[in-house]
Amino acid sequence: MRNISLSKNRRRARRTGLLLGTVGTLAFGSALAAQETLVVGRSMDVNSLDPSRAFCDTCQVYLTAVYEPLLTLGEDNKTLVPKLATTWENNDTFTEFTFNLNPDAVFSDGSPVEASDVVWTFERLRNLKGSPSFLMDGTQSIEAVDTHTVKIIVEAPNSEFLNKVSAPYTGIMNAEAAMAGGALADESAATADGAEGWFLENSVGSGPFVLTNYAPEDELRLTANSAYYGTAPGFGEVVITQIQDSVSQAQALETGSIDIAMQIDADTAKNMNNPDVVTEIVPSFNFVYFAFMPGSEAMKGKLTPPVREALTYAVDYDGMIEFTVGGNGNKIAAPIPNGFPGTANLMPRSQDVEKAKSMLADAGLGDGFTMEAVYPNDNVYGVDLNIMMQKLQQDFAQVGVDVTLKPVTYPVWREDMANGRADLTAVYYAPDYYGSGQYAAYFGMTEGSTWVSRAGYKSPETVVNAKEGEIYAAALAASGDAADAKYEELAKELMADNVIIPLVSPNLVLAHRSDIQGVRYSACCNLPLAEISRK
Amino acid sequence: MASTSPRARMRALSSGRALFGRLPLTGKIGVLILLFWAITVVSVQFWPLVDPLMMAGRRLQPPSGAHWLGTDALGRDVFSRTLHGAAYTIPVAVMVVVFAVVIGSALGAIAGYFGGWFDAVIMRTADVTLSFPPILLAMTVAAALGPGLPNAGLAMIIVWWPIYARLMRAQVLEVRTREHVEAAIAGGAGRGRVLVVHILPLCWTPTLINATMDFGQVALLAASLSFIGLGAVPPSPEWGSMISEGASKFYSWWIAFGPGMAILSVVLATSFLGDGLRDIFDRRGPQ
Repeated sequence: MRNISLSKNRRRARRTGLLLGTVGTLAFGSALAAQETLVVGRSMDVNSLDPSRAFCDTCQVYLTAVYEPLLTLGEDNKTLVPKLATTWENNDTFTEFTFNLNPDAVFSDGSPVEASDVVWTFERLRNLKGSPSFLMDGTQSIEAVDTHTVKIIVEAPNSEFLNKVSAPYTGIMNAEAAMAGGALADESAATADGAEGWFLENSVGSGPFVLTNYAPEDELRLTANSAYYGTAPGFGEVVITQIQDSVSQAQALETGSIDIAMQIDADTAKNMNNPDVVTEIVPSFNFVYFAFMPGSEAMKGKLTPPVREALTYAVDYDGMIEFTVGGNGNKIAAPIPNGFPGTANLMPRSQDVEKAKSMLADAGLGDGFTMEAVYPNDNVYGVDLNIMMQKLQQDFAQVGVDVTLKPVTYPVWREDMANGRADLTAVYYAPDYYGSGQYAAYFGMTEGSTWVSRAGYKSPETVVNAKEGEIYAAALAASGDAADAKYEELAKELMADNVIIPLVSPNLVLAHRSDIQGVRYSACCNLPLAEISRK
Repeated sequence: MASTSPRARMRALSSGRALFGRLPLTGKIGVLILLFWAITVVSVQFWPLVDPLMMAGRRLQPPSGAHWLGTDALGRDVFSRTLHGAAYTIPVAVMVVVFAVVIGSALGAIAGYFGGWFDAVIMRTADVTLSFPPILLAMTVAAALGPGLPNAGLAMIIVWWPIYARLMRAQVLEVRTREHVEAAIAGGAGRGRVLVVHILPLCWTPTLINATMDFGQVALLAASLSFIGLGAVPPSPEWGSMISEGASKFYSWWIAFGPGMAILSVVLATSFLGDGLRDIFDRRGPQ
């Protein structure tokens, strides 16, 4: 009996050994494969993979990996450095820009990157009238001087134009290949271009990666571009896999099923103590804000400038950072991210409940009033807008203002914004490139701007500030310190409008496995995948 | 049980204590839990609890002597919020079940008794409604009406009435062929009188059992709608929205624990009670 069982055990042991050997070989094989593949966990917000239509955080990551703009932003998140253009120059009035292309640059099909591709790409971006088309606003002419030289003339001085052509949405496409896929660049593009679907399966850039597969809400798979003319990326393959929320991303990272996560909130990061995971908390250029809508039907004659100012004193700005991101964020004065031109000397707002009360009493609203807040029911950059608005509700209650909260889905929110159906709202903003001009254009209370039509609705006069348009134009005609001074002046006007009130600039948790290096957060490009490698 | 005649069963129900005594142990536990929540709903505002809407301590604190179920992301007391949450979820569930029973049973009785195109229109509408998964239909209706508990309640009534219409129709179809009904008709009783006096009193048992069991499911659906942001709006301490807040703060497990346990207790209690009632009233089912 004993012998039998021994021999059985031996047989079992031999089988186990064989099995372990096989598993070991497989594991070794898959480890080799794993070295080649980088897996990034993200809640993907992809609206399109067409560079002239895409407009989202994941789009920035994708476009940076697959396409190359003329210039890009250096690691200091301020300086422009060469990409497809090796040198560039502009005239003194910032109306003419000349770019000299790298003669070695080739697209993923091996064909050279030429000036005609740049012209075609920029014309398509302008004519398609998609979300990122504003980057080409004001271009008068885009022409190829010779095979490797492009000259662009803009209608009015624009010292930020160089920053705009560093945005990932301006990545240069292989015109011939894109046209074969049905893309159009002429003036009929807005209605006749039918290439959006084609771009979900094909990429035509000169970047270090090419698109191999995109399955919406599932994965975005990239392979190293074998024709790449620059330094080869650290990974042969990159998979961006859909992981919806912060906690799931943290768990996937701790178990090793992903290598990088960028959407883990600070509260969750605090509870991660796996030695194989590195977390770095860095300030971001994103911010979350609330906005008054003085043009709404219910707020007519109520949300006057002094009342808006009074209410800004009711807000507990320090508490807001504590409650929304557990202290892992920064106060932000004007709706321009800290560190962008013109923000260095701004003083953030602070709470003064007594002042708020007395100003409301002076305005005849000492007994308070009721407002309805409509906002997207989202958790963005680690901030749960529901929590943020409940805090704001408590703060406003202290001065007798009763806020009713109405969280809605994002599409419903956009609809409500377009129809003046809110007295108060809250939402977020992330930069499209390094430069303060985009904030002037979006948040400025100049006739026709996005926020004048939202906040002012049918009574734009309640919010319009004519000075801002002039200051913005002056800022675009200046450069360096002079431009910074103008942007500072503009930021102060934006603060004095008391329409857009930024509450918190949440820090970003960059979390990755400890054997990964080269992970950084970029103001233009989010996560430059080509710089990442395994130790 | 000396008699199983319908009248005897009705008498049994009229005596609450006798009925309680005949419930199995699980049924009794169910009654006690529901009683606790009912008392909570009507009296919670008089209890010595901290304000469920105001900050009571530091945020995200684990359970302690001061905060039995910890604090949430805004520093509010989760224990107090859980108890106050009953006043949102339970009345909504009661209203939904009552309206669904009244509307569904009335339509089902009309369909079953009068037949013809009444039956066709009512029952086909019910079939169409039932062909949608309840949560999906409720979500669609609630999304169309906008967030808020009253709208969520309305959405749930729309989802729930057909169940009672079917139940009642089946009962009426069975009872209307009985001899005492035929005798009443032969005796010259009007159709309305026959339905109300001679048929309906014999049809309510399955409805009662179903309604009891559904109560927990409705509470769960109400919480689900709030969880996805279509039910109660912040800062209401509604159970579903509290769990939703807790879901994004996964490591602070206590935020979702209180409301989660509360929902569990209501669903379990109604299942226990429903099973107990079925044991007593429905002799046909498995014993």
